[in-house]
Amino acid sequence: MAGGRTPASLHDVELAALAAAGDRPAFGELVRRHGSAVRGLLRRMGAEASVADDIAQDAFLAAFERVAEYRGEGTFSAWVRRIAARLYVRRWKKEARFDLEAEAADEGHGGESLAATRIDLDEALKTLSPSERLCVSLCYGAGLSHVEAADALNTPLGTVKSHVKRGLDKLRLRLAPETGAEGESAGSMGHG
Amino acid sequence: MADLDFEMKLDRMFNEPPAMPDADAFTKLVEMRLDRGWSLRQIALGAAGLIAGLVGVGQILGSRMVLETAAAATGRRAEALGDSLGNLLNVGEAAAALPYGGQVIWMGAALGVMALAFAVTRAVE
Repeated sequence: MAGGRTPASLHDVELAALAAAGDRPAFGELVRRHGSAVRGLLRRMGAEASVADDIAQDAFLAAFERVAEYRGEGTFSAWVRRIAARLYVRRWKKEARFDLEAEAADEGHGGESLAATRIDLDEALKTLSPSERLCVSLCYGAGLSHVEAADALNTPLGTVKSHVKRGLDKLRLRLAPETGAEGESAGSMGHG
Repeated sequence: MADLDFEMKLDRMFNEPPAMPDADAFTKLVEMRLDRGWSLRQIALGAAGLIAGLVGVGQILGSRMVLETAAAATGRRAEALGDSLGNLLNVGEAAAALPYGGQVIWMGAALGVMALAFAVTRAVE
């Protein structure tokens, strides 16, 4: 361990460097720190708890294999979340659980029972359609741009933008009802 | 502006990890899978080293047999050529003094395997 310091006292970048040199306890500390974030993201994307945990484990194992590629640009958590999100999307595409493009044409899905009450993100995400939830989580949870999300999902960019916009509109009504009426053009900035 | 504020807020919310009561169990599972993968890798590398060593021994023995066959086929000419070369390089006596038997071949092979095993061990570490 670096200078006799315990893994818990080291920064993520230091731990990643140690892990790249084969230090598994250092990587274990990274898992301890960021495991919940990765599992949480996968659940927010729509994965069942057991599936989310399986994919999160695979994501960390993949991250360990590639940890030398992480050089501290962005947070370690964001880096692993991107890996996990892509693994989930790959699995989701294999199972073909729903049709993103078909849902894009269905304007009325999921927004019928929006109440102007303040609830947490997980509850708010449940009011989104599966496609909206997936796209919003990919862009805001995993940090993918719209183009990257469209590429990962093998879906037209316009479809992803449409899902993100409608998802954000619904989330705004749930999470920030005071600004919901004025924010009609969400999704047009930032993550594009 | 409201849109930007909301998106920043959403980013923050997504970045806040949810509380997971079984976080320790999850960490242990990942560590266990890492350890298992590591052990499997060590076994695979060891097996690969062993196979490579055996192949090396086989090659050494095979090349010696080929040389012997070739030497026998060329007969006296090869012997004469060897003698003349030995005389030329003035190492004839030294070469004759070498115990060039099966033991030397096996010792060489064993040293080769040990060197290979050492290299694999270092690579694993």
